[in-house]
This record gives sequence, structure tokens and C-alpha cells, in this order.
Amino acid sequence: MSNAYTPRVPRKYIGGYRPRIDGFDKASGKVKFADDLTTKLTFPDMLYARVLKSPYPHARIKHMDITDVEKLEGVRAVLTYEDPEVKKLKVTNAGWTDGVDILSYDRMMWYPMRDRRVIGDYARWVGDEIGLVVAAESESIAEEALKLVKIEWEILPFVLDPVEAMKPEAPSVHPELRKTNVLPEDPVGGPDVFVEKGDVEKGFSEADVVVESTAVHHNPNQGSLDNWCCLMEWKGDTLTVWSNSYEAHQTRMHISQMLDLPLSKVRVICSFVGGQFGRNDTGEQPFFLYTALLAKRTGRPVKFRHNNRESFLNSRQPAIYTAKAGAKKDGAITAMTFKSIGDAGAYADHTMFALKFGPAEIAEVALAHVPNLKLEAYGVYTNKLPACMMRGVANSQFNLSFGQIVDVLAEKLDMDPIDLSIKNFGHEEEALPNKSLVEVLHEGARRIGWENRHKPGEGPVYEHVRKRGMGFSFHPGWHAEWQEVRRGRIQVSLMLNPDGTVMLEAPTVETGSGSNTCNLLGCLEALSFLAVRPEDVHYSPVVDTETSLRDCVQTDSSVSYLQSEAMMVAAADLKRKICELAAPKLGAKPEELDIEEGNIFVKASPDTHMEVKTWLMEETDLAPIVATVHRVPLDLNTGIPFIATFAEVEVDTDTGEVDVLKLVVLHDCGTVMHASGAEAQQLGGQVMGLGEALYEEIIYDEARGVPMNFNWIDYKIATMADFPEVEPVLMEVWKGGGEYGACGIGESTLTCTPRAVLNAIYNAINVRVDELPVKPEKILQALGKI
Amino acid sequence: MVAKKDTAPDMGKPVEDAMSGVIRLRVNHVWHEFSLGRDIQPTETLAYVLRERLGFTGLKVSCDEGACGACTVIMDGKAILSCMTLAVEADGHEILTIEGLAEDDPVVVAFAEQSEPGYGTAMQCGYCTPGFVMTAKALLDANPNPTLDEVKEALSGNICRCGCYTAIAQAVLNASQKISTQGGTHE
Repeated sequence: MSNAYTPRVPRKYIGGYRPRIDGFDKASGKVKFADDLTTKLTFPDMLYARVLKSPYPHARIKHMDITDVEKLEGVRAVLTYEDPEVKKLKVTNAGWTDGVDILSYDRMMWYPMRDRRVIGDYARWVGDEIGLVVAAESESIAEEALKLVKIEWEILPFVLDPVEAMKPEAPSVHPELRKTNVLPEDPVGGPDVFVEKGDVEKGFSEADVVVESTAVHHNPNQGSLDNWCCLMEWKGDTLTVWSNSYEAHQTRMHISQMLDLPLSKVRVICSFVGGQFGRNDTGEQPFFLYTALLAKRTGRPVKFRHNNRESFLNSRQPAIYTAKAGAKKDGAITAMTFKSIGDAGAYADHTMFALKFGPAEIAEVALAHVPNLKLEAYGVYTNKLPACMMRGVANSQFNLSFGQIVDVLAEKLDMDPIDLSIKNFGHEEEALPNKSLVEVLHEGARRIGWENRHKPGEGPVYEHVRKRGMGFSFHPGWHAEWQEVRRGRIQVSLMLNPDGTVMLEAPTVETGSGSNTCNLLGCLEALSFLAVRPEDVHYSPVVDTETSLRDCVQTDSSVSYLQSEAMMVAAADLKRKICELAAPKLGAKPEELDIEEGNIFVKASPDTHMEVKTWLMEETDLAPIVATVHRVPLDLNTGIPFIATFAEVEVDTDTGEVDVLKLVVLHDCGTVMHASGAEAQQLGGQVMGLGEALYEEIIYDEARGVPMNFNWIDYKIATMADFPEVEPVLMEVWKGGGEYGACGIGESTLTCTPRAVLNAIYNAINVRVDELPVKPEKILQALGKI
Repeated sequence: MVAKKDTAPDMGKPVEDAMSGVIRLRVNHVWHEFSLGRDIQPTETLAYVLRERLGFTGLKVSCDEGACGACTVIMDGKAILSCMTLAVEADGHEILTIEGLAEDDPVVVAFAEQSEPGYGTAMQCGYCTPGFVMTAKALLDANPNPTLDEVKEALSGNICRCGCYTAIAQAVLNASQKISTQGGTHE
């Protein structure tokens, strides 16, 4: 298998196929994750915290007796909802920010939806943290202690189905806030109809063809292997936090604001994270707070770590989408509407990000040429685990509907859906057809063998029962430089030591996305005038808020280029400083000098030159030269590139099993920063993409409201044996602002997969299955066999 | 707890040791003795003892119930799940953790260097990687020239949520090729 892409601009480091910089440390087990840094050997006096989880989907504690809990040998502290330090904690939300910016309590993104108490007396889902936390000498003692609490419960009626929950007679999940379960309109997400352009009714009346479709996305879990943890240690009035949070400075802000500590008194240390995938919104989770309070009470370090089952703490947000589209006979779309009902679960968190904030952006970058457009959304509380942030938030749900209505409309028009897409979709700043979309779709068609696609149900049949089909789905990519302006200043620093080695500071918590490799490559590329080699650069993987610049959070799939763009500016500044320092020695003005291949020279007389590091070592004060840059991403509306997935499947119409024969995953990246890493994302994203399409699902006992499969034996994650042939295709068609003009791809690698597979299934069997995941029974039901 | 390099008693453990509650684990060629009840508890898993008592943090405890393979180590030449093995069950046995592999172990090197076009890298976050490396090492020790299907079969008990399966399989095949040209794996 070899399909190496050809870079648009050949560069020495950026864009190549090469190993990850942390490849050896990870392959040899040397990388230390937070759980590895906080063992009993390192903190011999540490205690373990455990929290009570509600066994009921909706209940209130009427009375709690902790006498036996406190008596158990080995228990060192018990903290309950009645303790003053717990009671005074402000009502919060687990998604203060989307990770792009740092936000305080008052400025949190979804401030109208503060609905979480830290250890309250009221449970809203099975698994809700409630009542008490304990710190004990071992995890098993802490577990045992929780079993000794005596609680008198008031068990309340519950609701699991979001459509049921919208009805006025449904039990209210948050009676303290509002009687209805429908989330309020808010200033950030906008009104219920959050995008309205033109007149959709007029648009539909002008159409020759009008179609409708329904798509139901469900609740896959992020499934990070590195269970979330923290260790809290107080020294005097300063709190040190070790955690596998992916955002060090926001974690510091959260703890500082909730515990009323100055920022300077909270030190957060994060290094590697064993997979983030958007888990648990952005991390303003109560466990940081009660673990810190337990450590304060006991005067000892306290560790909290979710176990695997507790790591089912949040999921992608289930959403029921209905779409409608009208078009002229020639395929010109006259109107589109999308309406969604999103299941928020027990807490709102980032629900409106998934339902409104994300789709509004998609409308801007992909639906800009649809003349009449209406997007409408409703978020609904239910007594289930909270939902929302997961790799590709909003986009995955929207694409399931978008790719479906395109397929349905194309069939009705008897038109190739590729042609229909190219005719109608693109960014507001660009005329149609969109060059990126054209090239991505035509390349995908070529690689999957689209010309061999048949009409639905008329494809090849093997052994009378196995039917083959093809499908695709496409989506706008995210995020380009202009979409990251809200991030504010990207901070990087380059320090040139007198021996020619470099200290790179480009803080980001490496979650696996490969941003650390991109940063090293970006540094080498930026400093190519100094002939810096990879082994000359020191780059720490640790973000420590006591010493680090602000960390660039690995969200929006954009860190791979954001810090490298800033490094280009820093490198120019470093070059200017070197020239200023060397000017007297070379008898010229700084602007008359240049540096190439590690040599500084007078531009007008290149024979007057010297090697930079030799001169620094032998003739200067030996002080390092430092360039620190604070760069805001460029606000140039360059549009966005497109991405697509093409799928070929075989459906066994006897058993209902779907065999994915091949996926082609295409990304127009603008500039490929690290080709091996980018392809790893394109390939790897299919574990989640196929999981969402076919296998992964949280199942509830609906009579009791209890989730049944919070474990990886009953919740199915694809292994190597399940993984199909996947062809990754990197492209450079579009270009954004800045030196590289790149666009993120990490999240979007799985966005189109479920819809591509579902369209291929339809193409194979001529019957649509509208609801994820497509397990065999749903195929058989659709075929009328069960 | 006492660590002794290659000076431990015979593998055939005297009965009175079991009675007196001494547990001996030979980890990466070094014997470690534990007093049962004082140093370690009978309920503690091998994974817990290796990580929390001995500091071998290369193996990871993720699911802690045998579903993900992140805790894989090699015991007496076979890949085992250390979260599903009690420390007392490993008494007297030879255990190899990832820390016991040589710097130039061909499996480690193959995983680290995997980057050729079309396959991606053999890890992203790297949390599952030590488990995959140890499973692959046990496979190649037993079957130095596996087919792709045999690799998939052997490694399908490990979960990589980042999804680097294509590259991992290729890394194992690359390691196999290197072993067959260089002869033998290292510890």
C-alpha cells in the first residue's frame, strides 16, 4: 500500500513522512502519564478518594447517616453535601469553555445553563455523583466505606426519551430551575430558530422536487483508555494538581474560581493524556474540587481516579434530525431546513454547542449558497448520562442528516449525488463550484470505483444473499486559522543557546493528536536558517502552570499548525536579534545581514561571514537569545477546505450483518504538517467512525433507567480483527492564511463515516436504516425479515 | 520487600514459604520478595503490585477487567493480562514487563519508527502501546514469521482507541522481518 501525497511546497521538515517524536518513548513505555506520576511509590502517604454514585435515575436524599462510614478503619475523611465547604461551592457547568479560550466562572460559555451542584443531595441519572465523598488509605477501603452509608431516598419519576421529556406532563429533571425540560434560548446559541435566511416556504414552493428525511444519532462514548484522574497536594496555602486534563490553564482557572484561590496559588501539571476525544466536555468536573477539599481536610495528598466503568461520564449527544430539501429539476437547491431534538441527558453543559453553535458554523461554511435556509434546534433534559462533547462535536450529528438528505434528493432528481453536491455547496466567500470540494469528491470517486456503482439494490449479489453497495458523505473541514481568532494570543518561545541548541517552548498537553511532533517540525522549519537539527531542540512535554506560557489546548484539531505559525514569527524575531548582536562584529548594520545554513553574512559581500554558534560561544557573553511571541491567529476569511469519506459495503440479507469492504478517507488539509501523523488520524478515526455506525451504543434498562453496558465487554469497540481496508488520502487544494495555511483534520476523520456507510447500505439493499448504530437486527427489520 | 539480582532460590518453592507467606516475583530477571499481608495483600493484582509497589508503570491499568489488553506483560513466555492475575498467582514465576526489553528491541523499534505512507504511525496517545508491544513480542517469540491474519488474531485482544491498527500490524510484520534477518529478539 503506497499512496504518498506530493506536497504543494516541498519543505525540509513540514509535510514529510517520518516517525513521531515521542514514538520511542511511547513504544518503550517510558512516557509517564498522570497515573504513572502519582503512584504509591511516589506519594507513599497519599489517600484515595471515592464518590457515591446514585443508583436511581431521579431521586433525592431525605436523610443520610454516615456513622458507620466514619468508623471504618482506614477512612481518613468524609465530606458530605451538608458540610460548609461543600455547600458554599457555586452551582456550575462542566463545560465552561469549548477549550478554545480560557474562561472564568462569570464569563463561562453557557452561563445561562449552570445546573450542576458539586456533591448535592439530588440525583438526575444513574451514576450522578451525590451525597458524600471519602478519603481512605486504599481504594478498596474507600469503596467499602461508601457501602456503609445509610440513605433514606425519595425516589422520583424519571424520563429517558427526549421526545417524551418535551411533553408538559413529563417529570422535570431540574425542577429547581424550570418546569419544562426544554432548555431555554440563550445568547450564545441563539433562538430556537438559530439560522434563518430567505423564505424557506417560498423556496419549497418554487422547487420541482421536495424530499424529507430523518436521521437519529446516538450516544457513543469517547472511550479514552487513560481514565481521568488527579492528585491534589497542599503545601501551605498552595495547591498542586497533577492531572491528565488536556487543558492546564483552564483547569487552574476552574479550581481557582471554584475554591476561591488566587491563580498564583494553584499549580497544575499536565503532560501526556491517553486519548482525549472531547471526553467530559471541557473538564470543569466536580472531582477536582472535592479531591482538593479532601486533601485540605486530611493534610495529605489525595488521588481520585475514575475506573473504566465510571469513565462513561459523558457521551456524544444523541440527536434526532429531520431535514427537508427542495430543488429544481437541474439540481439547483431552492430551500433546506434542518430541525434537531438533542438529548442533553441530566446536565446541559455544551448541549447547545452541539445543537446550535456548531451547525451555525456549518451553515456558514457549507450551506452559504442555499438561498433559503432554516435551522432549528431544541435541547432536552432527560435522566440519562450527560451528553455532548466528543471528537467532532455537532459535525457528526449534522453530517448524518446532511449526507442523507443529499443522497435522498439526488435519487429523486435521478442525479449523481456528487454532481448535486458540487452544484450547491460551498463557503460564502467563494463562488461555486468550490475547487476543494470538486477535487475531494472526484478523487474519492476515482479511488472507490464510483463508476461501478449501481442504482439502489441493483448492485452485485453474492451467494444470493450478500449485496454490495457504495456511498459517500462530505463535510466542510475545521478549523482554519480565521476560525481560531477567539483563541486569543498563541504563545511560543524560542531560546537559542550559545552552542546552537534550542529550547522550544510551545506548551500544549499532548493527547495523542501529534501536535508535539508538528511543533518540533515547525520549529526546525522556522529555524532552518540556523541549520538546527532535530537532536538540537529540547522540547518538554510537560505543561506546568507555574513556569509555562499559556497552553494551546488540543481542541478544534488546530494545534498542529497554530503554534507552528507563531514559531515562524518568533523565528523572524530571533533572526533580527542575532543580526543586531552580530552587526558590530561584522561592521555592518543589522538590516544588511542575513543568516543561512547557520552562517551570518553581509548580504552585499557574502565573503564577510561567520558561523553563528562559533561566534556565540567564543565571542559573546554566552547569554541565550530569546524570542517570545504572542500571536493572534489571522482574521482572514479564506473559507474552508472539504473532506469526504467513500464506503463500499456488503450486507448479508440473511443475517443483517454489514461488512465494510473499503473506506476511502479524504482530507484537503491546506498544508499537510506531518504526513504520517495525518494518515494515522485518517485511519485511526475509523475505529470511532465505524463504531458509531455499526457497533457502539450505550443501552439502558428502560424500566429502571439503568445503563447496562458501562464496560468494554458489553460496549463494543472495534479491535484489529474488525478493522477494514482504509485508504487515507491527503490533499492540498485550498490554502488558508499564514505561512502554512493549514486546516485541522483530527476530529473530522470520522465525521463522514457513519453517513457514508449508511448510504452504502441503502445502495446495497434499497432500504434505508435511519438510526445509529446499524446493528444486524435493524437491517433485518428494515428488510421486513423480523 | 527485598530485591535480589539472580540470587533467588530455586523456582520450586518450598512449601514452608507459602505457609510463612513469602511471595517471590522474578521481574525482568530480578527477584523481589514480599511478605504476604504486610507488603502485599492477597487481593492485589499483579498489575497493581508491578505498578504501585515496584514502579513498573509501562503497563497500564485501564479497564481493569480483561477487556482492553493495556496491562499485558509476559509471564513464563506467554502474554498475560496482569489486571486479571493476582500477585500471589505469579509467585515463583518469571515476569517480563516492557521495562525489561532492550533499548534496541526490534518490536519497540518497529513501533517507534512506523511511518511509511499509507499506514500512519503505530501509536497516537500511546497509552495502549506497551500492551500491544508485549503481546506482539510474545507472538513473535512463539511464531517469528506470522502472517497478517495471525498478527490480527494475536493482537485482537488489545484495544487502541486512537485506531492505529493498520500501522501496528505493519510494525509487527516489520519487526518479524528484522528478527529473521538479525536473528532473535532481545530482552
